[in-house]
Amino acid sequence: MSAGTAIQVDGINVYYNDFHALWDISLEVDRGEVVSIIGSNGSGKSTLLNTLAGQLNPKTGGISYFGESIGGLPPHETVARGMSLVPEGRRVFPRLTVFENLFMGSYIPRSRKNREKSLDNVYELFPRLKERHSQMANTLSGGEQQMLAIGRALMSEPKVLLCDEISLGLAPIIIKGIYQKIKQINELGLTIILVEQDITRSLKAADRAYVMLEGKVVLEGKPADLTEDKVKNAYFGI
Amino acid sequence: MEGLAQDILNGLLLGGLYAVVAIGLSTIFGIVKLVNLAHGDLMILSSYLSLFMVSALGVSPLLTLVAVMPVMFAVGYILQRFLLNRVLGKEMEPPLLVAFGVSIIIQNFMLMAFTPDARSLMSSLSLMTFSMGPNLSVPVLYLIDFVIALAVIIGQHYFLQSTYMGRGIRAASDDKYAAQLMGVNTKNTYAIAMGIAIMTAGVAGVLVGMTFTFYPHSGPQYLIIAFGVVVIGGLGSMKGTFAGGLILALAQILGARVFGPGYQLLCGYVVLLIVLAVRPQGIFGRG
Amino acid sequence: MTTLFTKIKWSILAAVTVGLGTVPVWGSDYAMLFFMLFCIYLALAQMWNLLAGYSGLISLGQQSFVGMGGYTVAVLSSYYGINIWLAAGLGGLTSVLLALFMSLFIFRMKGVYFTIGTWIFAEALLVWFSNWAYVKYGSGLFIKPPNDITMEAIYYAAFLLGVGSVALVYLLLRSRLGLGLMAMRDDDQVSETLGVEVFRSKLYCFLISAFVTGMTAGVFFVFQIFIQPYKAFSIDWTVKLVFMVIIGGIGTIEGPVVGALIYVLLSQFLAEYFSVSMLVLGGIAITVILVAPKGIMGTLQEKLGFEILSPRRF
Repeated sequence: MSAGTAIQVDGINVYYNDFHALWDISLEVDRGEVVSIIGSNGSGKSTLLNTLAGQLNPKTGGISYFGESIGGLPPHETVARGMSLVPEGRRVFPRLTVFENLFMGSYIPRSRKNREKSLDNVYELFPRLKERHSQMANTLSGGEQQMLAIGRALMSEPKVLLCDEISLGLAPIIIKGIYQKIKQINELGLTIILVEQDITRSLKAADRAYVMLEGKVVLEGKPADLTEDKVKNAYFGI
Repeated sequence: MEGLAQDILNGLLLGGLYAVVAIGLSTIFGIVKLVNLAHGDLMILSSYLSLFMVSALGVSPLLTLVAVMPVMFAVGYILQRFLLNRVLGKEMEPPLLVAFGVSIIIQNFMLMAFTPDARSLMSSLSLMTFSMGPNLSVPVLYLIDFVIALAVIIGQHYFLQSTYMGRGIRAASDDKYAAQLMGVNTKNTYAIAMGIAIMTAGVAGVLVGMTFTFYPHSGPQYLIIAFGVVVIGGLGSMKGTFAGGLILALAQILGARVFGPGYQLLCGYVVLLIVLAVRPQGIFGRG
Repeated sequence: MTTLFTKIKWSILAAVTVGLGTVPVWGSDYAMLFFMLFCIYLALAQMWNLLAGYSGLISLGQQSFVGMGGYTVAVLSSYYGINIWLAAGLGGLTSVLLALFMSLFIFRMKGVYFTIGTWIFAEALLVWFSNWAYVKYGSGLFIKPPNDITMEAIYYAAFLLGVGSVALVYLLLRSRLGLGLMAMRDDDQVSETLGVEVFRSKLYCFLISAFVTGMTAGVFFVFQIFIQPYKAFSIDWTVKLVFMVIIGGIGTIEGPVVGALIYVLLSQFLAEYFSVSMLVLGGIAITVILVAPKGIMGTLQEKLGFEILSPRRF
């Protein structure tokens, strides 16, 4: 592990009760990288992100975050350390306003003092949210909710952003816009892990990619080295 | 129509008391999605607590609020943190049944500790009235109940809307996992929410003890009142809780007027059942 | 399940049943009392379990039917001199009618609202009966059987009800209705799409439980000789049933048997200290929910695959 490693996952095995969801997963993400994790439904990619975030804990194996072991920590402690998850399905707080959702993003004490500044940054990144700042989150469109979910995750001043299927259910043109923002966020210095089903989109955005199948990593490499056929085979398990 | 105005006035003031009885149940039901069947018993527990302090220290019951409130907050916090948090999950039955168990334990504990005799926190306040016209006298105690109830409910509303912890509580109730991702320690948050709810029940208990006589088994009847208020008024709305309290109290008092005093409770039940059947989300509730 | 095991199982069951049925012959008066109470509570607990453990209906209002059945027997026997056993049966009938009426309201409610609705109905009945001249208000009524009733007769009636309730639940769960119930228990919506009539199944179970509860209560009050609203319609009835079934094992047929036995034992030991017994019961129930939520029989079933009366088909 080099000084530039943000996240190192070493041989973790994760279970949902008796169901063995992740088998001996190892991967590495360097500081400032955009890493994509690709796979079909049930491949375990969301499980992986949820484990990194702390909702699930690995039974064996370790996860280190900037050198610190975080394997058994609960979610509110991983976010305190600067790892923020944009959850699958967005999961904005429906009965809170846009402002209140973003406010909740800076809930941890460390981020409370910079709340005003973070808010300005998020509104600059997503002007639409500023327009709708007093609207209830459940009245926003799908794309706006996705922006809100990302903005909310940014409010805790994370070093690493985990994005779980941010293109789900959105129109292509909206997805394009969101991925542009992701690029901008990465340029600001954040490390990003993207989990996606859409192969093309996520390969385009990534510095490196992993392909998962049935809870295991089956392929990894730089997008340039991963031909379409290789990826498809790995994706479908051929 | 003699005394109708008086009955209505009494009903309105009593409604305030009912509202503060209910606010704790409503809060917990809305936030943790748990129906605390022990709510009424915890309320009566605080009545006994106040009684104990009054007889030991000779102070006025209202003064005991200073001690009752933090104690009841702690009781609620501990109850949620160490017992109820463990059974919260996908199914509705375990928390309901655990709360039921707690209710029975508290009732029987009070029965053993305080005997089945009727008790009360009544003082000279209970008899004071002042007149507001030829046929209208305002019972001072009811008025005090109403004012304190108003203060508690508005205070709690402000807390939930405008403070960090309050927002955290509301977020956790909307989406527990997402709130955790924001850094909300939901175990702690739920416990604090319950602490607040039981604290308000504590206030209600002192007020109830000052207004009516109570027994170790009085808890369930107040639980039903609280539930009635929540059902009629709807969850999560300050207006709703107040409206629910007023409607229920009026139904009871006017019902007693028409059918006789023995039917007071029954009229409340009937109104409640009708609302449950026809508009379960309550008058101000969100569908 | 080898057939030898099955044969042994059924022989033991048969032996136990015969033993239970002949207590008046070999047992002391005290044993008769003990097992009579056991049978009564067994029947009531089976019915609560049918609702909560299999139909997903948590009722905190079984006392509505207890009171209804009891008062039917009291009124019919004291005022009209009707045969006591017929009166008990009619007690079951009036309870069903009550349940039908209740269902108009509470079957529109879901989950916890349903539960509280059952309780409120019971409280309303309590108030109603306490204010009703016909049943002598809160002072209560005596049950005067037109002919002399022996303790043995009461015992046999209780025995029939206790064993009958177990058999009833067993047969019910093996029927088409039962399969639907068990599917519903797992997934309401999916089973509906497969044609299971969720609403009707739940209603049938509710009515059946009302019937048996009312009838059993009728027999109980023949034994008690006296009935009062605040006792007959008291939530205490449901409290005991809930605890029995939770401890014994909710959602199993054997659970209520174990639970009823434990309860009657406990209440006999702590007969003088009612509050303490309730406290202990409550504490045990909470511990069970935390530690082994399926109760004694449920946990045994889960860990060891041990089922005495299995509703499953092979």
